Amino acid sequence: MRKLRKVLLLGSAVGIAAVGLAACGGGGGGGGGTQGGTATVVIGTAPDYLDPQEEYTTQGAEADWISYTPLVTYKHENAPTGNDVIPGLATALPTISADGKTYTMTLRKGLVFSDGTPIKASDFACTAERMIKVNWGGKSFFTDNVSGATAFDKGQSDHITGITTDDATGKITIQLDKPYGAFTNVLAFPELGLVPCGTPEHTLTTDMPPSSGPYMLTDIVPNKSYSVVKNPKWAALNVPDIPVGHLDRIDVTIESNTQTEAQKVLNNQADNFDAGDTLPPSIVPQVRSQASDRFEAVTIPSTFYFFMNVTLPPFNNELARQAVNVAIDRPALQRLASGFLEPGCFFLPEGIPGHPTSDCPYGPADGHGDIAKAQQLVQQSGTAGQSITVWGEQRAPRTQYVEYYADLLNKIGYKATPKLISDTTYFPTIGNAKTMPQTGFADWIQDFPNPVDFYLLLATSSIQPVNNENFGNVSDPFIDQQIAKLEPTPSAKLDSVASQWQAVDEYTAKKAYVVVYGSEQVPKFFSDRIDFDSAVVHPTYLNDWSTWQLK
Amino acid sequence: MAVDPTAPSPGKPAALEPSFGLGEGVIEGQAGVGPYQLAMRRLRRNKTALAFGAMFVIIVLMCLCAPLYAKHVAHTTPSANHITDTVKVRGETKDVVSVGGIPIGPTWTSHFLLGADSNGRDVAVRLLYGGRNSLEIGFIATFISCLLATVIALTAGYYRGVLDGVLSRTMDLIWAYPVILLGIALGTALAVGGLNFGLFTINGTSLWIPAIIIGVVYVPYMAKPLRGQVLSLREKEFVEAARSQGAGNLRIMSREILPNIASSIIVFIPLMIANAILLEAALSFLGAGVQPPNPSWGTMIGDGIRLIPSAMHLTLIPGGMLVLAVLGINVFGDGVRDALDPRAQVRMEH
Repeated sequence: MRKLRKVLLLGSAVGIAAVGLAACGGGGGGGGGTQGGTATVVIGTAPDYLDPQEEYTTQGAEADWISYTPLVTYKHENAPTGNDVIPGLATALPTISADGKTYTMTLRKGLVFSDGTPIKASDFACTAERMIKVNWGGKSFFTDNVSGATAFDKGQSDHITGITTDDATGKITIQLDKPYGAFTNVLAFPELGLVPCGTPEHTLTTDMPPSSGPYMLTDIVPNKSYSVVKNPKWAALNVPDIPVGHLDRIDVTIESNTQTEAQKVLNNQADNFDAGDTLPPSIVPQVRSQASDRFEAVTIPSTFYFFMNVTLPPFNNELARQAVNVAIDRPALQRLASGFLEPGCFFLPEGIPGHPTSDCPYGPADGHGDIAKAQQLVQQSGTAGQSITVWGEQRAPRTQYVEYYADLLNKIGYKATPKLISDTTYFPTIGNAKTMPQTGFADWIQDFPNPVDFYLLLATSSIQPVNNENFGNVSDPFIDQQIAKLEPTPSAKLDSVASQWQAVDEYTAKKAYVVVYGSEQVPKFFSDRIDFDSAVVHPTYLNDWSTWQLK
Repeated sequence: MAVDPTAPSPGKPAALEPSFGLGEGVIEGQAGVGPYQLAMRRLRRNKTALAFGAMFVIIVLMCLCAPLYAKHVAHTTPSANHITDTVKVRGETKDVVSVGGIPIGPTWTSHFLLGADSNGRDVAVRLLYGGRNSLEIGFIATFISCLLATVIALTAGYYRGVLDGVLSRTMDLIWAYPVILLGIALGTALAVGGLNFGLFTINGTSLWIPAIIIGVVYVPYMAKPLRGQVLSLREKEFVEAARSQGAGNLRIMSREILPNIASSIIVFIPLMIANAILLEAALSFLGAGVQPPNPSWGTMIGDGIRLIPSAMHLTLIPGGMLVLAVLGINVFGDGVRDALDPRAQVRMEH
């Protein structure tokens, strides 16, 4: 499986913790604030696709999430409640059979697309098949689990046999090959936002299918600009908990220079700096001082860490791994991220069920590290003086993270040398078994708010000859057993096993398999025109345009 | 066999050969003075060239003293991070790197004299070490270029025919490829896997990698004009005379032709050093030259570019040093060329 939401960042990242914001929520576009009007957004990175079944970045999801609604979706709220799955176009969350392999839902009655065409249960099957046909980058989440989806993908069948629909009753049944607790999260992917049967099964670039959400995409000039306007049919559908939206129109312009992008928002020439972009460090002090009432750094559920290959010296020695965890100076890394990093030591980030509330085992998360103690541990481990190659990306601030880390390893008694390669080839290179990296940079931004999405990175089953994402080749029977035991837990019942996930995560931290240093923060930055408090930064899809309103 | 009295004598530079400039000495009528002595006299009269040459030498000496400065003055190393450290500046305690990630500017004290970079490393220390690396690469690359270009020029120009065709077309091929692109392609590829010569391997982070790349890509710029000179020289009477006396090809190339192209090679050297330093800076700026943790002026400029509005010193200081070093060697090189080759036949072409 692959990481879904690869937030495309253009440089370094942001600081300051997120605080709860007044969520727009509810089904209304009513309430306080101005209704209607137009906002302008400048984004530094163009969406990979606007096609609802093909986008795979936050820039694409921001537009598609409010234009195409899946059967289930997430609350349009900030973290932590933004992680809650709610019914979308289905009447309720799926009913799951006792064996965990059959998911049943019913489509709401009276739903129509933005062109007035009725939404049918069979549109879900068509949407899923289209998602596979256009070759969405995350389709394996679906094909690995749904019966017959792989055969359909390989052209061995005309339809996905595991999906049955009844247009008369609106009933949708999905059969899985094996229980997969996070499947409700899979159903909430925006790529399963409904489009009508008959939508061309190739990438759409300018003319999008009719909308099934509060907004619809229009005036698309690829890689230059596009707009979303209100779906005139949506409000009458009365879909609870999905906002109808306040603004009539949002115009999006791609502005590749983030300095200019930020300057425009600072000067109120544009209304929003895209949360998927990175504020240039040089402008951060100006933004913090001049726009403190319309700027905030929001922590997103993500884990930034250095992996350590437990099959190679020196990190096949637990004391050596502990030494690095003892020495790490997380506030230093926070400064390298221009403050846009929330220090942390656990693999499960805050906001994910199971995130430990206990103390870090090797010193406080905001401590500066204990070099002397680390040197002792290295001496004790008998690995002092060994050569280490530290892998990293040629991209700020990740380059700086790795240079810091290499220097740290040298300080505690190793001979470390950074090896920096292009960010486009970095993960395939370190994920190739021939490379056998000793240690280096890694990160994970949640695909969906489920601990299993993170722990697959430390599962023995994830160790592959190519595209390996378990970079440290961690193979621990306890972790594997716990994943096998907890993975089938349905998303809606995650709270019931949170303490067990917490125990796993505390065990991982104690074994020092990785050196976690924190979670990334993204900028929430608006012009003076927008009501800052009501605007939601969703933990998975970032800016929720349907919650924006003019002051 | 009739011998042209104006032809250069075997084994000596073409003192009487006007086309290579050294004959100017004869024109000035200072019989008994060798061509190199004449060139030195001309160079000594060129005060501007000498001043800039002296500036370059001072920069080289400063860079050579980098370890002394780091150990005894700055008390740090070029790769030591001081991100969360503080420093006292005129009685006031300041963060080396602020909480927002902005590094301290020049303190004009022994610690962080020229400020720090985003990793809290001492810019002055890195500047000197970076200079060592940049200059080392410049000198090694120039040596490689000169050696290869001379061998290729002598071989192609002397033997002509198929060998000349193959070598010349190879040079054309390299020449036709934009230097920066070729350097990036080679630098990026070799930074990961290093360079394997069978008997020995060069690590991807070694300074030899950019030095070899730059040395190789600049070979045609020197080999082509030298080959032209060899083609002309091989037809001269003194070569004929040597051949008639039974001298072999290797002897003619090394004893007769090489001394007569030596002045051109000497003229090329400072110009090649300047160009090699510039190319190294460009490649390092783009991430395809010097690899961390080694600093170079190019990597320092690259590291500082994202902080230009708030920490301009990170780009201005290494940039200024680069300008001074290249200016110094270039103006001095022009002086050498004027002294050795007053008709200025030798030019670096791009």
